[in-house]
Amino acid sequence: MSLDQADPAAPAAAGPAAPKSGGQAGGGAAGRRRSNRRAGRWWTPWLFLAPALLLFLYFKFIPMANALTMSFQDVQPYLGSSWVGTENYSTVLHSEGFREAAWHTVVLAAGQTAGSMALGLALALLMEGQGRRLGFIRSAAFLPVVVPIAVVAELWRIMYHPTEDGMLNGILGLVGFGPSGFINDPDTSMASIMVTGIWRGAPYDMMIFLAGLTSVDRGLYEAAKVDGASRTQRVWHVTVPGLRSVFSILFILAAIRGLRVFTEVFLLTNGGPDGSTEVVMTLIYKLGLEQNRLGVGAAGAVLLFLATLILTIVVHLLRRRESK
Amino acid sequence: MQRSHWIGAGFLASALVLTSCTSGPAGVDAKQNSKAPLELWTRTTPGGPGEKGTLKLAAAFQKATGFKVKVTAIFDDFETKLQQRAAQKNLPDIVMNDVTQLGAMHSQGLLREIDLDRIKSADQLIGQGLDSGKSVDGKQFGLPYSAQASALLIRKDWREKLKLEVPQSWDDFSAMASAFTTEDPDGDGKKNTFGLAAPLSTKRGYASWYFSNFLWAAGGDFITESGNGTYKPAMTTKASLEAVRWFRDLGCENKVIQPGAVTMETPPTNETFEAGRTGMFVVGPYLLPRFDETLGKDKYEVVPMPKGPKDATVLAEGASVYLMAGSENRAGQDAFADFAVSAEGQKIGMQGDTGFTVQLPVNKTVDISEVRPDPRWNTYAEAYRDSGRYAPSIPNWTPVRQTTAETVNALMADCDLDTEAKLGELDKQLADILKEQGIAAS
Repeated sequence: MSLDQADPAAPAAAGPAAPKSGGQAGGGAAGRRRSNRRAGRWWTPWLFLAPALLLFLYFKFIPMANALTMSFQDVQPYLGSSWVGTENYSTVLHSEGFREAAWHTVVLAAGQTAGSMALGLALALLMEGQGRRLGFIRSAAFLPVVVPIAVVAELWRIMYHPTEDGMLNGILGLVGFGPSGFINDPDTSMASIMVTGIWRGAPYDMMIFLAGLTSVDRGLYEAAKVDGASRTQRVWHVTVPGLRSVFSILFILAAIRGLRVFTEVFLLTNGGPDGSTEVVMTLIYKLGLEQNRLGVGAAGAVLLFLATLILTIVVHLLRRRESK
Repeated sequence: MQRSHWIGAGFLASALVLTSCTSGPAGVDAKQNSKAPLELWTRTTPGGPGEKGTLKLAAAFQKATGFKVKVTAIFDDFETKLQQRAAQKNLPDIVMNDVTQLGAMHSQGLLREIDLDRIKSADQLIGQGLDSGKSVDGKQFGLPYSAQASALLIRKDWREKLKLEVPQSWDDFSAMASAFTTEDPDGDGKKNTFGLAAPLSTKRGYASWYFSNFLWAAGGDFITESGNGTYKPAMTTKASLEAVRWFRDLGCENKVIQPGAVTMETPPTNETFEAGRTGMFVVGPYLLPRFDETLGKDKYEVVPMPKGPKDATVLAEGASVYLMAGSENRAGQDAFADFAVSAEGQKIGMQGDTGFTVQLPVNKTVDISEVRPDPRWNTYAEAYRDSGRYAPSIPNWTPVRQTTAETVNALMADCDLDTEAKLGELDKQLADILKEQGIAAS
C-alpha cells in the first residue's frame, strides 16, 4: 500500500489550501479547519523560535536595553544609579580621546575592509576550480580564520619583534631595509595592526568569493574570450559585475567587523603606543571596566551601535536602489 | 501573520521595558545572623596556588572561631563581577583585593567602615599598612593583610662576568644597564641583551606603575596633597621632569630597555628576564618562586633599589581585606579581618613555597626571617619598611594611573615628543580628574 493511497484526501485538500488568499468564497468552515491543520496555528512558528528568542532576549536584548539605560545614568549599582540626562554623551563627544579613537576606528575599518576584500578576491581567483589539490590549499589558506584570535595576536607579536633578529625584520633586512618598530612605533603601529587584520580577514572573504564565483555564468567568459578580451578585462568586465551582490554583503560584514575591532588591538598594543591605535572599543573597555565609569562607557557603546546601524542601513538602501 | 508579528514585538518590547527599570534604593541594613556562612571573594586564579592558600587560611579561621567561610577565587574581570553582584544588592561578605581598589569600592558605597576597636590585632599593624586602608576622609575601610614593595633583580652571573658592583646610585644603575646592553654579558657573541626589563604598556596602567619607583625616588610625584584632603597635579615640577627625562634617556638615548617594551604587559616582560634577554628588573617579591624555577636561584640576586636624586623610595602595594556592605554576619566579618592580620593568620598566610597569600607580613610581631629564612625576602621586607610608599588614597586612583601611564608610554614610544609640553598636557588632564572626583585644590 502506498502512502498516496493511505490518505486519498490529501491531494484534494492541498488544492484549495495552497493559495493563501483570505477571501475564499466556497471554502467554508470545513475548509478553514483543514487549512489550519496544514498551516498550523499562528503561534507555531513562534513556538519554534522561542528557545532562540529566549536566549537572545537574555543575552542580547536585555543587556542592550540596560546599556541604553546606563548611558543616561551615573551608574552606581549598589547605591542606586541616578539619571544625568545626556551628560555622558556630551562627555564622550567632547573628549578628544573619543574623537581620535573614532577616527582610528574608521581608518582601521576602511583599511581592513578594502585589504581583506582585495586579497580575498585575488586568492579566490587563484584558487577557483575543481582540482583535487586545490581543496588542500584552500583549507590551508582558510586556517587564519579558524585559529583563535589570541593565538593570532601572539603569533604576530613574535613576527613583529622590533629588532634585527625579529622574523619580519629579518626579511626586511635581506632587502636592505632597517629594522622597523612595527607595533612598537607610533608611526607604523596602525598599519601593522591593519596587516594582521587583513591576514585574518582575507581567507574568510575568499571563501565567500569562491561561493559567488560558482554562480557567474561560464558562457560569459567564453563569449568574452571569443570577443578577444584579455584576462584582466575578463575579470574586470565579467567576474566583478557578476559578484556585485557578494561584494555588498562582504562590505557590510567587513565594515561591521572593522568598526567593532577589539581583540587584536587589545592584545597587540592595547591602544598604544602613544594612543596611536586606540579604537572605540578599547576606549569603551578602559572607561567602563577599568575606570569604573560605566555610564560614559555605555554612551560610547551606544554611539558605536548607532554608527554601525546607520552604515548597514545606508549600504542596504544603496543596494536596493541599484537593483531597481 | 501580521497579528503574530505584533504580538511577538509587543512581548519583546514589554520585556525590555520591564527589565531595564532595575535601579532601586540601596540595600537597607540586613538582619544579623552570626551563623550565616561568610562568602569570601579573592582576586586570584581559580584552581591556582593563591586559591589553595586562601582555602588554607579560611580553614584555619573556621577552626579557630567557628564561623563558616566559602571561598570563591576570581581573577579575570573581578571588578566587573563584583559590580554585577552589587547590582543584585547581594555582595559577598568579604573581598580580598588590591589596596588601590579601596577608593573605587568606597565611593560606590560597597564597603562597610571597619571599627578598629573590634579588631584585637589592629594595634600590631605596621603604621603605613594601616594607613593604606583609610579612605580620603581618614576612615578605615580596608585592612591590609599582605604587603609588597619593589626591589631590583640583577642577573648575578652577568654582573660578575663584567666585574661590576651592585649599583648604589642612579649613575651606577645606568652604567650597568649600558654594560649589559653593549658588552655581551651572556657571551654568545651576539648583540641580543638589554639592561632593563620594563612593562610599559598602558594595560592596567603598567607604565605608570613601573615608573612610580623612579619618580618617587627623584622626589617627584603624580599628584601632591595640598591640605584638607585636596590634591594638585605635580608632573611638571622640577623633580618630576628630571625623573621623566632620566627614565626616557634609558629608552631613547641609551636604548637599554628591552625592545617592544611599550606594548608589553607583565607576562612577556617577565619572559625577557627569564630568557636571558634582560639583566635587571624592578619588581615585587611575588615573582621569586617563578624565577627560581625557570631561571634558577643562583642566576639572579635581589638587591635594594639604588638611591635616586632624593632617596630610595619604591612603590609599596599589597592587598586588603574589605568588609562588604549589607552583610548579615558582621560579627563574622570582623572576626575574619582580625584573624587575617593576627600573628597566627599572617604566619598561616605565609606558609608554602608558592601558595602563600601573604607576601610580606603587615603584623609587627611577625618576623619574616623566622617563617622564610631566605634572606632575599628580608631584603623585600626592609625595602617595604624603610622605603615603601603607597599610592595616595583618593576616591578613584585608576584614572590617575591610567592617564599617567598613557603619557609615560607616549614619551617612551616616540622619542621626538617634547617632554615638557607633554607633561604640561598631563597636568591638565590630572587637574580634570581631580576636579571630577571633588578633591582638586582650588
